[in-house]
Amino acid sequence: MQKRVIFRSRSLPYLLVLPQIAVTLVFFFWPSYQALESSFFIEDAFGFSREWVGLRNYRDLFADPGYLRSFRTTLVFGLSVTALALGTSLGLAVAANRVLRAAQSYRTLLIWPYAVAPALAGVIWYFLMNPSMGIVAYWLKGLGVEWNHYVNGNQALILVVVAAAWKQISYNFLFFLAGLQSIPKSLIEAAAIDRAGPIRRFWTITMPLLSPTTFFLLVVNLVYAFFDTFALIHATTNGGPADATSVLVFRVYNTGFIGQDYGSSAAQSVVLMALVIGMTFIQFRYVERKVTY
Amino acid sequence: MATLHLNALGKTYPGGVTAASEVSVEISDGEFVVLVGPSGCGKSTILRMIAGLETITEGELSIDGARVNDREPGERDIAMVFQNYALYPHMSVRKNMEYGLKNEGLPKAQIAARIAEAARTLRLEEYLDRKPRQLSGGQRQRVAMGRAIVRQPKVFLFDEPLSNLDAKLRTQLRAELKALHRRLGATFVYVTHDQVEAMSLADRIVIMNAGRVEQIGTPMDLYLRPASRFVAEFIGSPSMNMLEGRIGADRASVTFGQASALSLGFDLPGPAGHPIALGVRPEHLHLAPGGAGGIDLAVQFIEQLGADTVVHGAVPGAAGPLAVRLAGVQRYEAGAVLSLACSAENLHLFDAETGVRLAADAV
Repeated sequence: MQKRVIFRSRSLPYLLVLPQIAVTLVFFFWPSYQALESSFFIEDAFGFSREWVGLRNYRDLFADPGYLRSFRTTLVFGLSVTALALGTSLGLAVAANRVLRAAQSYRTLLIWPYAVAPALAGVIWYFLMNPSMGIVAYWLKGLGVEWNHYVNGNQALILVVVAAAWKQISYNFLFFLAGLQSIPKSLIEAAAIDRAGPIRRFWTITMPLLSPTTFFLLVVNLVYAFFDTFALIHATTNGGPADATSVLVFRVYNTGFIGQDYGSSAAQSVVLMALVIGMTFIQFRYVERKVTY
Repeated sequence: MATLHLNALGKTYPGGVTAASEVSVEISDGEFVVLVGPSGCGKSTILRMIAGLETITEGELSIDGARVNDREPGERDIAMVFQNYALYPHMSVRKNMEYGLKNEGLPKAQIAARIAEAARTLRLEEYLDRKPRQLSGGQRQRVAMGRAIVRQPKVFLFDEPLSNLDAKLRTQLRAELKALHRRLGATFVYVTHDQVEAMSLADRIVIMNAGRVEQIGTPMDLYLRPASRFVAEFIGSPSMNMLEGRIGADRASVTFGQASALSLGFDLPGPAGHPIALGVRPEHLHLAPGGAGGIDLAVQFIEQLGADTVVHGAVPGAAGPLAVRLAGVQRYEAGAVLSLACSAENLHLFDAETGVRLAADAV
């Protein structure tokens, strides 16, 4: 069977991909170019004039201890969210995989959080953990933990990590459950006969067979945590207290729209872009090599 | 090497469905026992209960005299070969075979020695470092057997291991399996739905139907003296002809419908008029010279298999079709009438209502 279509006219294929290319150019390449260009200028706050400064924005950026702290915060935040979201959802999926009756309704119920908007997810947790009226804060007080994320930077970070992970759990859960269900039952049975206990079976059979799913989710979660959590942080801690939850994406907004330092904001965007490109590259190199069986 | 006792074993699922009940079999050391039956008869459930993959809800299972009902699969000292082979796809052939031994905590040198030996006997030496997906169906099957052999278990369990292979390979592996059993001298329990496989492999066959044991015996027991109509029709290919009729007024003949009757020459147990089924295997019928046979067959079509010819037709007056297996190449046109005879010892009589064998002693 002929899979490739052969066009008689030379212009038709170009015409067909034109809309896609136009969208990409207008909404991706143009802004990206604008950001790249702006990062080499210092602009006044009202946009009336700008001055070419070369790499000064970048030099200033990496000399700024606040920015470097943001890097560290982002790393801690991203890794924590990913670990928490993957770990919890895997646990839930393993548990749900054992349930035979009403499995469909469990799945439907567990997907709900994914439909909640990030800002809303943040607000829900904000209220739950509010020091003066939150139920979780009240429970924590009962346990002897003084909870106040307005003051305590670490607690604020924990709050946004939990909120961000919570939202991602249902998505991960679906993929993990599908992955678990695609592992033939006879493999687990064969391992049981081969004298492997449940825990050993999980680590030597289930996890390796689940590794393509796990890797895919790892990438998705990291990207989500690094680049897609602005709304959540904006709605809950607003980057504070004292920059404790100011991850890179939040800083871009803060520098540009609050601080009105467009040059530095653009430079930060370019750094983020470089990060995304790097991660994507690693993902594709790695995905094709290691995570196959 | 072990004995295996199934004592009134049964399985009822929480929903109330009974998959097997009252299954009692005594399997002696080194025996090759085949569980056979149509799909859904409970044979796989029995095997999975022996393996410990299904909980036993009734009865008792013991290996070497010790009750193992509540032991985990890994604690029963059994090995199982699955229908889909269940090879670990992310491990090489060597790792697949090592897995169980490592879990047992065997020393490395011993593991290596056992694998080397199994690989040699199964001709897998050159494939040890391949992954299962790089192997053909037959090779995967041999790896699955290798994984069982290296464990040196008390009992080997096989769950339809050949049913995913093509016919030629199946015949070849059947012979290898038989040779393997002879060499190991181990106890084998084997599940299949293929009666030819059961006949050719088994020391003894357990034939099951609807969750119950129909008959236990050697292949020749089952072939020559089927205990029920079900066994009679299940064993043998083409399957046994069954003619339904009633015991004649003289109690030494069978009447079919109004007109025809077949004189048997011996007395039948049971009252005149009792409905019975008369069974005769296609290969036990022969042509009667000069039309002197007791059964007339109107030919409908023939199957020529080379070594022999199967003639299908109908007996006028009797309900149901009839097949005859004649040696060599034979040619008959549809509509021809053959006169057939059969010696009395090859006739099987069954109660038409209960399916139980009748006249076992009279024949």
